[in-house]
Amino acid sequence: MHRDKTQLIIWSLSFFFIAYMLVSLFYLYVAVGESINQVSAALFNSQVLGALTISVASAFLVGGLAVAIGVPVAYFMAFNEFRGKETLEMLLIDMPQTFPPVTEGLVYLLMLGRFRLAYTFAAVIIAKFYVSAPFTLSFLTRRFRELKGNGYDVIARSLGARTRHVLNWIMIPLSARDVVGGFSLTWARAMGELAATLVFAGAIPWQTEIIPTLVFLTSRNAPAIAMAASVIAETLSLVALFSFRLIGRGRKWLT
Amino acid sequence: MAYLTVEHLVKRYGDATVIDSLDLSVNAQETMAIMGASGCGKTTLLLTILGAIKADQGQITINDRIVNDLPIEEREIGYVPQDYGLFPHFTVSENIGFGLRVRTYPTSEKQRVIDALLETVDLKGMGGKKPRELSGGQKQRVALARALAIKPSLLLLDEPLSSIDEATKEHVRKALKDTLTRTKVTTICVVHDPEDAFILGDRIAVMHSGRIIQCDTPDHLLEAPNDSIVRKLVASMYVLRRDTSVQSTR
Repeated sequence: MHRDKTQLIIWSLSFFFIAYMLVSLFYLYVAVGESINQVSAALFNSQVLGALTISVASAFLVGGLAVAIGVPVAYFMAFNEFRGKETLEMLLIDMPQTFPPVTEGLVYLLMLGRFRLAYTFAAVIIAKFYVSAPFTLSFLTRRFRELKGNGYDVIARSLGARTRHVLNWIMIPLSARDVVGGFSLTWARAMGELAATLVFAGAIPWQTEIIPTLVFLTSRNAPAIAMAASVIAETLSLVALFSFRLIGRGRKWLT
Repeated sequence: MAYLTVEHLVKRYGDATVIDSLDLSVNAQETMAIMGASGCGKTTLLLTILGAIKADQGQITINDRIVNDLPIEEREIGYVPQDYGLFPHFTVSENIGFGLRVRTYPTSEKQRVIDALLETVDLKGMGGKKPRELSGGQKQRVALARALAIKPSLLLLDEPLSSIDEATKEHVRKALKDTLTRTKVTTICVVHDPEDAFILGDRIAVMHSGRIIQCDTPDHLLEAPNDSIVRKLVASMYVLRRDTSVQSTR
C-alpha cells in the first residue's frame, strides 16, 4: 500500500497538538471530579466569590473601556499616515502581548504608586487594561483599514458626512463583529491576567483579589479553593467565549 | 463660460508623475467623458477633483469657487465609484437618503426625495431591498440616485459600466444617459471603453500619461484625431459608426 509520509507527519502532529490543547483545557474537570466533595464545599467560599466578583466586574469594565477607547484610536491609526506609524502600532498592539506582565505591574507600581493607586480596584483595571486592550485595538484597526480600502469613508464624506457620521453610521455598524470579537478576547485575557495585577494591585479579598491571584496563592496550601476558583473561571470563560461568538455570528448582514 | 476648470494640475507619487500639468474645462450641464488606457491617471484626476487626493500643484475651480482647500464634505460633489460603494448594512432607501440624513432633512421631505429618485432611476418599489439583493445595473442606479440626492454641484462617475455584464450593458448605459440628460447635472465620467465615452459624453477628453491630449466632441474626435494615440483609441468607433450607418441605410 502506498503511504504518503508527509501526510502522516501532518496528521500525527495535528493529533498531538489538538490532544495537548484539549487535555490542557479539560483536565481541570477530571481533577475536580476526583475531589468533588472538597471542591463543592469551596465553591461558596467567601474568598472564591469575592475573587470571582472582582474578576468578572474588572474584565467587563476593561472590555468596555477597550472598545470605548479602541474605536477612536483604531480610527486614528487607520485613517492617518505619519512617520513611525508601523513602530507605534507595534508598540501599541504587539508589545503589550509580549512584554512580561510582571514587569508592567512593577512599572505601574513605580509610576502610579505615589498617587495612592496601588492596591486598589483602579489598579486592577489599569494593570489588566494594558495587557488586554490591544486585542480590541488590533481587531478594530484591521477592520477600519479594510473599510477604508473599500472607500466607504470617501463616499460618505462626498455625501456631506462629518467624522461623527462616518464613525457612528458606517465604521462602527460595519465593524460590529470585530467589536464583539475584540471585546471577547479582551475580556478573556483580562479574566486570565495575573502577574501585572498581583504586583500592582495585590490580592486584597473583595477589593483586588481576582481568580488567578487566588489560584496562585492557594494552589499549595488550599488546593480545593484553587480548584473551585479555577473551575468557575474556566467554565465562565468557555460560556462567555461561545456566547460572544454566537452574538458575532448573529449579525449576518455583516459580511 | 466653463463651470469646472482644472488648471495645471500636478499629482506625484514619489518619482512617478501621475497627473502632469493637466488642464480641463467642463461646461455647465455638460457630460465630459474621460477616456484613456489603464494607468493613465483618470481615476486619480477624478479623486483629486473630489478632494480625496490632494493635488501637489494646480487649481480646481467649480462654479467660480476655488475648491483646492475645501474638504470633501464641503465640495458638494456627487461621486459614484467603480464598485458603486453601496453601504451594505443600509437598504436602498437608506443608501439614497444618506446625504439627506446628514443634512437632517425632515422624515417626510426625505422620503419624498427618495421616492422621486427611485422613480428617476427606475427602481420604484425596491427601496426596502439590501444592496446584496440587487443586480449590477440596479446597484449602479442606486449609487447614482444617492449621489443625485444631495443636488450635487458636480457629478463624478468612475467607470460606471465596468461592473455590468455585456448582456445588459447597452440597456444600463442608455438608462444612465437618459438620467444624465434629464437631471442636467454637470458630469465627469471616467470610462475605459471608447463606446461608452462616445455614447455618454457630450465631449470626450482623451487622457494619456497624466495629460489631456485631445478634448472634443465625439464627431470631431473621429474626424480629426490630433494624435496617433487618439486615433488608436477611437479606431473601434470608426467600425462601429460604419456598421451603424450601414444598418441605418438598409
